[in-house]
Amino acid sequence: MPDSSRPREPLLEARDIDRVFGGAYALRQARLSLYRNEICGLLGANGAGKSTLSRIICGHLAPTSGQIVFKGEPLAIGSAKEALRSGIALVAQETSLAPDMSVLENIFLPSYAMPGRLSFARLRRKAQSILSELGPNHSLPLDMEVRRLSAAQRQLVEISKALALNADLVIFDEPTASLSPTEVDSLFNVMTRLRNAGKALAFVSHRLEEVFAITDRVTILREGRTVADDLPTAGLTQTDIIRHMVGRDIGNVYHKAPPDGNAGERPVALEVSGLSAPPAVRDVSFFVRKGEILGLGGLVGAGRSKSVEAVFGLRHRAAGKITVGGREISPRTPIAAIRAGIGMVAEDRRAQNIVPDMSVGENLFLAQMGKHRGFGRGEAAKRAQAGELMERLGLPADRMDANLLHFSGGMQQKVIIARWLLTEPEVLILDEPTKGVDIGTRQAIYQLLREVAGRGIAVVIVSSDFEELLGLCERVVVMSDGYTIADLPAARLNEESLTLLAAPRSSAERNTAFLRAIVDRYGGCAFWGLIEEDQLVCLSVVEGDPGAPVGLAAGQIYFLHETSIATALQERSSSVVRERDGRATILMHLSNRRGHDLGWIGVTARQGGTLPDAQALSSAMADLLETPANEEMGS
Amino acid sequence: MNARRRTFAISKIANTLEFRMLGLAVVLAIALAFVSPHFFTERNLFNILDQSVVLGIVAVGMTLVILTGGIDLSVGSIAGLSGIVLALLLKEFPIPVAIFLAIGGGALIGLVSGVLIAVFGLASFVVTLGVMAIGRSLAYIVSGQRSISGLPMGLQDIVYTTFLGVPANVVFLILLYVVTWAWLTYTKGGRTIYAIGSNIEAARGAGLNTLFYSIFPYVAAGALAATATTFSLAQIMSADPIGGNLLELDAIAAVVIGGASLYGGRGSIFGTLMGVLIMVMIRNGLNLLGVSPFWQGTAIGSIIILALLAERLITWRSRRV
Repeated sequence: MPDSSRPREPLLEARDIDRVFGGAYALRQARLSLYRNEICGLLGANGAGKSTLSRIICGHLAPTSGQIVFKGEPLAIGSAKEALRSGIALVAQETSLAPDMSVLENIFLPSYAMPGRLSFARLRRKAQSILSELGPNHSLPLDMEVRRLSAAQRQLVEISKALALNADLVIFDEPTASLSPTEVDSLFNVMTRLRNAGKALAFVSHRLEEVFAITDRVTILREGRTVADDLPTAGLTQTDIIRHMVGRDIGNVYHKAPPDGNAGERPVALEVSGLSAPPAVRDVSFFVRKGEILGLGGLVGAGRSKSVEAVFGLRHRAAGKITVGGREISPRTPIAAIRAGIGMVAEDRRAQNIVPDMSVGENLFLAQMGKHRGFGRGEAAKRAQAGELMERLGLPADRMDANLLHFSGGMQQKVIIARWLLTEPEVLILDEPTKGVDIGTRQAIYQLLREVAGRGIAVVIVSSDFEELLGLCERVVVMSDGYTIADLPAARLNEESLTLLAAPRSSAERNTAFLRAIVDRYGGCAFWGLIEEDQLVCLSVVEGDPGAPVGLAAGQIYFLHETSIATALQERSSSVVRERDGRATILMHLSNRRGHDLGWIGVTARQGGTLPDAQALSSAMADLLETPANEEMGS
Repeated sequence: MNARRRTFAISKIANTLEFRMLGLAVVLAIALAFVSPHFFTERNLFNILDQSVVLGIVAVGMTLVILTGGIDLSVGSIAGLSGIVLALLLKEFPIPVAIFLAIGGGALIGLVSGVLIAVFGLASFVVTLGVMAIGRSLAYIVSGQRSISGLPMGLQDIVYTTFLGVPANVVFLILLYVVTWAWLTYTKGGRTIYAIGSNIEAARGAGLNTLFYSIFPYVAAGALAATATTFSLAQIMSADPIGGNLLELDAIAAVVIGGASLYGGRGSIFGTLMGVLIMVMIRNGLNLLGVSPFWQGTAIGSIIILALLAERLITWRSRRV
């Protein structure tokens, strides 16, 4: 934690920064102070100027006017090399790596700009020490090309690159955008370590919960101006921050509709069963009803995007049955899926959705043109509908000829969603619909999706933002390592239980092996789950021989009083608790070294059977927690 | 309001690169008219149109290929090979059948390139470079390293027939540009070509037939190269295995002068026409001025680079304001 007696002498101070792009102010009188031993959150809606300010400080951009003082001296402005040499590093948002060069070369790319001879042997040793500094679980193949790394690994290279400079100030520009919660957690460990080592850190993020988790202070930008300077995070609430960011209260973002009484009777619009598209998708089944919003939850890499791509005909399927409105389809190209009534907003807006050289109007009509069977463009019939749609989305009709890239990310996303609404789909799939969209526009997109569902369209949302999944969806199907493992009403889930359900199979397997070891020795039934108020989220169950049927199944959520071991679950005692029918249960709480709740492990003996000694159980569990897989799973 | 929108529309057109290239073409024409009294004669103007036919036809195919983000280096060789093939076919078949077969042959070569590029994902530069070498080599082998003459006189009709005083080959060129423009602008296929060059992932995701329209431009380029050769044969009444040599480079230059991006997605058929006219006018003017053919390359190369440099400077300035 920051020392309260620290001198209020900023390491870096940026004052009165203006930056003009094409006649418009991206920054106007913006200011930012960064201190040693502190992590400062740099917040703001999309287009508020966070990235511009970061890039100016790092010298990637020259400000139109303004000054920057670093370590008490004015910093040469607009020179990336100068900023690097003085000790300012940027962990960029869009990774600035050279994909065909090795990890080692990328880490030391900035040193190529420095005079002197390079010694690869020395660089290699230095890289290894940096990586070990990042934590014991981070090993990167130094000679592998960056192109072949996962998104999280690339992020790690970015961070190593900043550390290699031995910078005093590191700016993290939305480093978590492509990371799973597990990886975010280990990134935060690294950031904490850097802060404690006396560095000044700036953290740019859209995700407020992350801001609360990691920052000491926040500076908030709105429309290029600094509207809140250096506020201590501890004294803030989410509402405070949002008010500063958007300049007004936005209320509850999600506006959950009241549960529909006959929701369960609406016809199924899309059903997927036994879908397999190796290697990422192994066995995926789910269904969505008309007018329902279904969430596909899981960690990055769980195979969610690849599953919906396979449904949409973008990916080869090895097995699986897809029915839309009761008719079985087998799309091998998107056009087959579109004509069957599916629409899909792909994950990467810029790379997969927008056609940059086409106008707003043409982008809007693109899927309609794809669906249209004639020779022409097939726009005429839909023109009135398109005008109406654009009006509802707040896009002036006379800007239909403008370039879509000139609009904000939120507006772009609305146009892409409208593109699919024009095709009148039965099922609309959206992959990360609010990625890189600010909170104000997010609300408008949620509103739009609710309206879409209200019109009877089945909506499937793939999202890594668990808060969004739980807030928006009526039901969540959880995926892990290419399998669907749970299908639960959102009302019964929270972020903790969702995280545990979504944990990679490998770590779940480790725990399952542990449960297996217990029942092999003692018989009965062992389970691993999370107890939340009056609910048990069951993550894993192993029956021994002879068994002790408790009636639990993995991936399900039970009310405690419904289970056959209600007394034990309510008492949560690490000594033996007997039910009325004589079953005996012992429960042990599981948490990792960072004190993160990993749930409970329970063992139930059959009537008259023996239970393990509580002492033995807890020492066995302690061993389990030391294993790296749990470190991973626990976050 | 209406008037404002109209001035807005006019300024938008005036700001397009094609329009500026039209301006360049006009300025060039006026300049040439001043330096050479023979330039602005009816006979020379028809000459220019006549000389534009072969390059103009090939440039249409090249425009389609470049719009999808590809490049076709093989059109010159296809023109040479199909010229030889046509000359041989004319000895065996009636004129329309021979022409049909020759154009079909050009399309077939384009189909092979297109499939290799779109289905197997090979780089268009490399595939068409290979086809270029093969085509030229086959042209020499099939012809026996000799030019073939003695073509049937009836072949000349496709050039010397006139409609309202305009030669048939010029009429064909104009029709080709109008039809291609309409196709590129108003049809699903044409827009798909643009969408592929701009963002093929998005195009596929929106249900456009990206596979077919990634192959089609190469087929069209092959067929059009053979068509261009047909007109050229009708004019000179002999086929030479070196025919169409370096035609691909002239076509690429015309398309690029016309404002197309070599990365795909941007460009227009009208711009290509301007590019063709500028190229032909420069060559024609240099001939009228009696500039040595050895200097012509330097002159044309410099003008192309200067035109693009001026264009880039204008865009920079307009972006900065």
